[in-house]
Amino acid sequence: MKKTGIISAIALSAIFTFSAPLMAAENTILESYRAAARQENPAFKDFSSTRGQAFHTAKSGDLSCASCHTENIKAHGKHATTGKDILPLAPSANPDRFADAAKVEKWFKRNCNDVLKRACTAQEKGDFIAYTLSVK
Amino acid sequence: MKPVLVWDIPTRLFHWLMAASFLGAWLSSESDQWLSAHAFCGYLLLGLIGFRLIWGFAGGYYARFSSFLHSPLSGLAYVRQMVAGKAKRYIGHNPAGSQAIFLLLILGLAVTVTGIFTLSGEEQQASFGIRLSVSLGRMFKEGHEAVAGLMLLVVVGHIAGVAVESYLHKENLARSMITGLKAASVDEPISRPYRLVSLILALAVVAFGIWWFFYALHQPIEKALGLQEGAISKPNVAFVGEKLADNARWREECGSCHIAFHPNLLPERSWRKLMAGQEHHFGADLGLDAPTNQALLTFLVTNAAERSNREAAFKINRSLKPEATPLRITETPYWIKKHREIPEADWRLPSVKSRANCGACHQDAEAGTFEDGAMQMPR
Ligand code: HEC
Ligand code: HEC
Ligand code: HEC
Repeated sequence: MKKTGIISAIALSAIFTFSAPLMAAENTILESYRAAARQENPAFKDFSSTRGQAFHTAKSGDLSCASCHTENIKAHGKHATTGKDILPLAPSANPDRFADAAKVEKWFKRNCNDVLKRACTAQEKGDFIAYTLSVK
Repeated sequence: MKPVLVWDIPTRLFHWLMAASFLGAWLSSESDQWLSAHAFCGYLLLGLIGFRLIWGFAGGYYARFSSFLHSPLSGLAYVRQMVAGKAKRYIGHNPAGSQAIFLLLILGLAVTVTGIFTLSGEEQQASFGIRLSVSLGRMFKEGHEAVAGLMLLVVVGHIAGVAVESYLHKENLARSMITGLKAASVDEPISRPYRLVSLILALAVVAFGIWWFFYALHQPIEKALGLQEGAISKPNVAFVGEKLADNARWREECGSCHIAFHPNLLPERSWRKLMAGQEHHFGADLGLDAPTNQALLTFLVTNAAERSNREAAFKINRSLKPEATPLRITETPYWIKKHREIPEADWRLPSVKSRANCGACHQDAEAGTFEDGAMQMPR
């Protein structure tokens, strides 16, 4: 009884020590947006993938994020002006996505400007990432 | 008189392969799409002629040059006798026929060599390491076309001669070139089949064909065989050109919204103006930081049109007035001229959308080479 208790405790802590950094690594970019969102809005609660999905398809003028990335973010997109192929946005279909904070920020800056004619809030960015991570 | 072997197998193989490659080269000469096939026929022809020159000394009795060395004058005399209907019958090549053969060998050499120089000048396909300027390439192209026309004349004359002689001597000379047999008296020299040489020749030609279409054109085998999705809709084998200057950062920064337009498609002054105005890049703010901007500009400027030996670069640059600084490749006079025949409806195809979507029609747009053979209009 005592023995199995010790073994399971060791096993559990092993699982935690090995998996915790992995889980954290998957979300570092999202976590930094979480910190920014708290600063932006003290009443901030959490990101929502449903809100992110709505944001993705919401049209502003005649453009939405889906105009280039398509509604199905696991599929290839197509640039609305130039017709160029764009690789899938969902990390489940394209593991290179949301891996480089500077790149993510660069594209949020450009694409939000294109679509909304303004910068996105940290809340919107976080919702959007939560949405892309939720698509399996 | 009984049928004896006159034409050895290598000579017959050579004859029909040469005829086929000549025909193939003519058929593929019209459309730029078939340039790769055209060049294949040319190299094949050159190789065949090389073989024939050796075989002219090492081959069977009737294949050796020494057996049909007639003077041009006797050739003319023979034509006159043919017209009069009383030409002497030869077992091997007659004097007029032998003139056609020597002429075809010489013209074949000239047409392939000028062809290779045309490629190396116009398309910058460095052939055997030779690379010429575009303007010199143009001159070779004119020579190439003239020699090809002359060769066609000789071919027509050769076929007419064979037809007339077949009629005069009541024997099918074309069939003899297939079976190798002609009726002759027993004391005439006889040839040998040379089976091993024939096998080697045939294998060499097949191997060259496989190499050319599968490997030399950097085409993965699955794709060439149409086993890969999308491969079937692109039947022509792209003629892949020399690899151009590349840069990972440039591809990353300038190749995500549209294909990375190769620097050689615009002159230095255009790139400087474009990068100076990067906050207003065709409606987009690129938002590049100063070091990135500088690094990209350096790559663009060092490989700009005026520093490139590519045909497109040369012609784009030449078409620009010195005071013009276009920000679009699609606004340069050369580009406009090259694309003016494309109907408006084609530009509006969903797969095209924009004139700047070069990759919709040019399979090698990402590589920046814009080879004639890699052009494929979308349907
Ligand atoms: C005009 C076309 C266009 C529109 C509209 C657009 N994008 Fe993009 N987006 C791109 C292109 C092009 C890329 C870079 C493609 C690549 O890296 O393969 C990109 C990349 C991104 C990335 C980078 C992901 C990564 O880690 O690589 C994010 C995030 C992104 N877009 C979010 C959005 C959001 C949010 C919207 C809507 C507000 C949007 N995009 C609308 C064209 C567009
Ligand atoms: C944020 C998206 C984006 C990025 C990144 C981008 N471009 Fe563009 N570029 C465009 C758009 C949109 C057009 C207009 C396309 C059209 O009219 O179809 C364009 C057009 C061009 C054209 C003119 C094409 C023509 O019509 O001949 C050039 C040249 C060009 N870009 C160069 C660059 C270079 C060099 C870079 C890298 C420093 C770059 N672009 C990065 C969006 C982008
Ligand atoms: C709608 C299809 C289409 C698009 C898009 C397109 N082209 Fe072309 N391009 C053609 C056709 C057709 C030709 C003519 C080929 C010929 O003359 O044999 C051509 C010819 C050319 C040539 C001359 C090739 C040669 O050696 O004769 C160049 C260079 C070229 N295009 C560059 C471009 C560039 C750069 C772009 C993008 C900015 C582009 N094209 C976009 C269809 C297209």
